[in-house]
Amino acid sequence: MRLTFSAVSKTFLSLRGPVRAVRGVDLAVGEGEFFVLLGPSGCGKSTVLNLAAGLVKPNSGEIRLGGRVVASRDGKVFVSPKERNVAMVFQSYALYPHLTVFENIAFPLRVAGVTKDEIDKAVNQAAGMLGIGDIREARPAELSGGQRQRVAIARAIVRKPALFLLDEPLSNLDAGLRASTRSELKRLQRELGVTAVYVTHDQTEAMTLGDRIALLRDGRIVQTGTPEDLYERPETPFAASFIGQVPMNLVDASVREEGGDLYLRLGEARLLLPPGPAARVRSIGSAEILFGIRPEHIGIARGTAGSPVTGTVTSLENLGREVLLQVRVDGLPLSVLTNDKSIREGDTVALDIPLEAAHFFRKESEP
Amino acid sequence: MSDQTQVRLLYRAGALGIAIFSLGPILYMALTAVSVRPDFLSPDAGFTVTAAHFVSVLRTTSLHFPEYLRNSLIVSGLSAAFCVAIASPAAYAITRLPLPGRILFLLCILAVSLFPPVSMVSYLFQVMGNLGWINTYPALVLPYIAWILPLSLWILTSYFAQVPADLDRAALIDGCSRLAILRKVIFPVAAPGIFSTALLAFIFAFNEFLFALMLTTDHAARTVPVGIALFEGLHGEIPWGVVMAASVLTTVPVVLLTLVFQRRIIQGLTRGAIKG
Repeated sequence: MRLTFSAVSKTFLSLRGPVRAVRGVDLAVGEGEFFVLLGPSGCGKSTVLNLAAGLVKPNSGEIRLGGRVVASRDGKVFVSPKERNVAMVFQSYALYPHLTVFENIAFPLRVAGVTKDEIDKAVNQAAGMLGIGDIREARPAELSGGQRQRVAIARAIVRKPALFLLDEPLSNLDAGLRASTRSELKRLQRELGVTAVYVTHDQTEAMTLGDRIALLRDGRIVQTGTPEDLYERPETPFAASFIGQVPMNLVDASVREEGGDLYLRLGEARLLLPPGPAARVRSIGSAEILFGIRPEHIGIARGTAGSPVTGTVTSLENLGREVLLQVRVDGLPLSVLTNDKSIREGDTVALDIPLEAAHFFRKESEP
Repeated sequence: MSDQTQVRLLYRAGALGIAIFSLGPILYMALTAVSVRPDFLSPDAGFTVTAAHFVSVLRTTSLHFPEYLRNSLIVSGLSAAFCVAIASPAAYAITRLPLPGRILFLLCILAVSLFPPVSMVSYLFQVMGNLGWINTYPALVLPYIAWILPLSLWILTSYFAQVPADLDRAALIDGCSRLAILRKVIFPVAAPGIFSTALLAFIFAFNEFLFALMLTTDHAARTVPVGIALFEGLHGEIPWGVVMAASVLTTVPVVLLTLVFQRRIIQGLTRGAIKG
């Protein structure tokens, strides 16, 4: 079912004054889409989810679910969570501790007054899909974290919701389980064909799960797009640094026009900008810019032979397959990912910076 | 003697001292109840065991002990039931709904409970007199509810505050109304807390003396503590053996309840004490 937000805002009142958790958010989640809300803690992503669920009323704007207005301050409409037919998985799992696994999964159906036979069938099917049929009679306290997670997911899917909301569901799992549950969630969502909105602060989860991602900061959407869009075409320095296993390098640089050509000045180095990047730099319309390049795009070689950009390796982290180097270039700190494990701390290295893959931002442009 | 042994010895001596100090009167009560003569400690009396006092407490109709006990159980039971019934939704609202100034509210409630009962009893007597309720159950149940409610509310608030709010949100999404959440999720999850609150309220009402003394006149509504205090012998002397036997009979249910559920009661009291 489609979910749309139009200029939705939410302000919470606290003792220290109003907290503007969500500020004029517009978004549209398509039918059957896996949509991820990504952002640092306190960015308002969970509030957006609660607004969609109907746990929180917006102060302004309009929320539609499948074309029907479910919350609108101006239209004086508010549809309770009960009538929205949404399901939610919580970070804390929120299983009812006094009920067995079976009763937990059956709970939404019992509240809805479904007959016993149908409940049995639906619960068994949901439990079967998640491989928890054998622990039906256990209570939540007896389960491991992974099992609790599965019960929570089963409870969410059992009544075939129109919208599936997930609030950091993997944060309490250990790393191995997190990866396997991640792929299982994706498979489940595809099988059920249900629209899902997933909240996380983990960019890896966002990149691997999302059909599209909305990146949030301070209650606003910074950028919406496919994982590829966000990785390859970040629109702001924040988006650039938030997406990517290792954050993008962002350093101050300046540009100079000489005889029709644009040159980038990076530390002491002077690099000729090819036509593509040059056009992008021109569109910024400023000589002082923020230059961004991903660590995995920088080439590196020992020695300084003929390279315009050289630096010294100041530290080194072995990530297994790759090595993450911190290189100082004329006072500018740059991270570099490389497969070359022969490089040592203190080595002088030549860097190959592919300007085609670089990003250029207006210097004062925050979010 | 090593330090550790000394510590252990002192610890045990201290514990024994406190136990004797607290349990001595109760032991004396029990012994008097089964002794033929109440002055069994004097050299010329001697200690002879008898069950006669218990028999006369239960059999002598003029003592009205069974009626007193019935009154006590009904009054205390009603008070406890009403307290929990009123305090649970209140505690739920305090812990879950966005109430501005909830701490102030709780403190006001606490302040009300600090009024000494003796300052209100004469006024209560007038009110109940005008209503014509003197010597009826409502005359006791209503003040007991007012008196025990703040404590119940504080204890329940601290219990409910420990039930994760995510459970409420999950139940809301699963289609429950607020009342259904209270009934289907909060009550079962906080059942130990509700149970111990009810138990405490019951014991408080059961032990109350002042209101019961002033607001009842005879066995139609008089409760056990007052009834026992007003026992009279045939010739105006105090029948110590019977008084003590009645006291033992009254104490037994409370002691049993407390022993069986002691851990929960202590939990309830300390939670109420340190958490808001």
